[in-house]
Amino acid sequence: MTGRRVAVTSPQTRLAHARRRYRGRWRPTTLDPAEAPRAVALYRVQLRRAIGALALLFTLIFGLPLLLAVWPSLGGLRVFGIPASWLIPVAVPFPAMVALGFWHLRRAERAEEQ
Amino acid sequence: MITAFAVAPVVLVTLLIGLRGVAAMRTTSDFLVASRRVSPLLNSAAVSGEYLSAASFLGVAGLVVKDGVGSLWYPVGFTAGYIAMLTLVAAPMRRSGALTVPDFAEARLASPSLRRLAAVVVLVIGALYLVPQFRTAGLVLSVVSGTPYWVGVAISGAAVSATLALGGMRAATYVQAFQFVFKLVLFIIPAIWLLVQAGPGVRDEAVNPVEFTHFGDQTRVEFRVGATLDVPEGAEEITDDGARRPVPSGEWQVPAGTTVEFAEGSRVPELRGEPAPGADGWERPLLDLHDEGHPLLGTWAVLIATMLGTMGLPHVIMRFHTSPDGRAARRTAALTVALLSVFYLFPGIYGVLGRVLVPHLYLSGATDSAVVALPAQVDDGTVGTLFTGLLTAGAFAAFLATSLGLLLVVAGAISHDLVPGGLRQLRVAVVGAAVTVVLLALPAAGFDAGTLVTWGFTVAASTFCPLLVLGIWWRGLTAHGAIAGVAVGLVSTAGAFLLTLSGPPVTGWVALLLVQPAPWSVPLAFATMIVVSLFGRPPPWSTAAMLRLHLDEHRPSPFADRATLARDLGHSSWTARRSSAVRRITRRLVR
Repeated sequence: MTGRRVAVTSPQTRLAHARRRYRGRWRPTTLDPAEAPRAVALYRVQLRRAIGALALLFTLIFGLPLLLAVWPSLGGLRVFGIPASWLIPVAVPFPAMVALGFWHLRRAERAEEQ
Repeated sequence: MITAFAVAPVVLVTLLIGLRGVAAMRTTSDFLVASRRVSPLLNSAAVSGEYLSAASFLGVAGLVVKDGVGSLWYPVGFTAGYIAMLTLVAAPMRRSGALTVPDFAEARLASPSLRRLAAVVVLVIGALYLVPQFRTAGLVLSVVSGTPYWVGVAISGAAVSATLALGGMRAATYVQAFQFVFKLVLFIIPAIWLLVQAGPGVRDEAVNPVEFTHFGDQTRVEFRVGATLDVPEGAEEITDDGARRPVPSGEWQVPAGTTVEFAEGSRVPELRGEPAPGADGWERPLLDLHDEGHPLLGTWAVLIATMLGTMGLPHVIMRFHTSPDGRAARRTAALTVALLSVFYLFPGIYGVLGRVLVPHLYLSGATDSAVVALPAQVDDGTVGTLFTGLLTAGAFAAFLATSLGLLLVVAGAISHDLVPGGLRQLRVAVVGAAVTVVLLALPAAGFDAGTLVTWGFTVAASTFCPLLVLGIWWRGLTAHGAIAGVAVGLVSTAGAFLLTLSGPPVTGWVALLLVQPAPWSVPLAFATMIVVSLFGRPPPWSTAAMLRLHLDEHRPSPFADRATLARDLGHSSWTARRSSAVRRITRRLVR
């Protein structure tokens, strides 16, 4: 071990310090031309996959209330004594969203592995 | 007494873990690297810990008691927001290196005025989100220990400021991850105990809702804020000497601070403009906001606001920055969906039990305290007291985790984005912000935590959601377009809220869209941003700036085929990196 002392700061402190130094001239983001084709390909793939996943999410989230609105007789149906229409906002969207999340995660990571 | 037992350990353990986290960090050579190595699982627990506020822990169950089963859509929107985050924002946001939305705005669009505008929006969202936290903390402490409302608010403000001043946020990740587990356990175990202990009679009543018309027992109702009641024939109260006395029927203006003891079997007065728990429509699983007769539109409006608003919540975005790279940020978002889904299976249980056991809370507008009021109704012995204490501790943890994160973000927005300053100013701003929020929370006792928090989400959805989505996915966005869109979103939502508070003479779907403006304010903000951008010209580097966000960190090295590239460009030096060359290449690729 050398006797060198290292300043230990929290991310908050670092943020505060960095922000103060940051007040210099703003410089535009650079993109290496060699990486541009990959960036463009990734952008296109990810955009397509994101739109697909979002379309599924919107169908699920906005479709369920629609289903309950046009089919109020679901309230009469009972599962273990609990009205089915009470179970639908809890038991359906959460497992479906977890599955959708992990499905999209895998697709998005795969796009980057190529 | 319960307060001391429940709240003190939460604050103490939080501080201890914070200090322990700092000590653990010191052994590594660099605190920073360590803090960027937060694994997705730990980080998602921290995100969930910060996200599950008093509105989730208490507010959702309270809204179920008051407005009906339809309130269960709030948690669905809260969780769906993380899917939107995962697909659109998480990885590119992390790659931009921006810590907050104002940071991102400046990094992507190079506009200091947009940064300041974004900072103002952070303040608005922070206030809308913080006031209900403090207000609910005050309410819960007053229900549990009988202290006046302002004492609870002041204690909460002092606790948060003290924790921040003592450095409890230093190892923020560990503290918040711990608080998530803490909240999860303290929410699930009492829920199961309540279900078992309540007995078959109460369980049966819970799934067969009837309107709350008669008091089953002698019931004490404390009006912390004034209320207007419509008293029917047959309402009776107990006087100080224990005799039953009929309440004169008709309108009754109850002043704030009154305590009324209703007799057993007495008719229940009606709160003006608010149907009783269990009334017609309560059991319908759709949200009829303000009872305007448009349940489907109301449900959709709340879902849009909560889902798109989650993307722009400043304290959540900050947490994603502790991931090592974009890929880990994405994993964090996916795991957060799973963790939140476990938690949100349970508020409904408290809600439907609360409708049976504590429906009288709706008279005094205190349904937010239903969760902590439940154990005493089921068991009036030591066990009930114990569970009240546990739930109070959980609620306080929820309040603490969210308030800490938000106060720091608000203080950061003041002391960096609006008025440049250093660490000292940050500390001053934290205390200043805490005092301001306490002062704002004092007159806010009558507001629902759920309503105010949903307003915060609506503002985020109409300002930051378009800014982030277009900034990340559309190269044509200009600084002027972004400023116009954010301003339009902020003004339209704020205007709608002010109009709602002043009580306009409108009904039906117009009133609904004033109470919950997200269905029109979000598209309006998007459209403004796009149209104004199309009239201007994006700067030459904007394509590169956008594409950079989508490039993964661990990509194969481009140096291998640099020779090919040089040939392709027609010159052989590193000047190929000049921005004009980048522009030429990207123009060829993005069409």
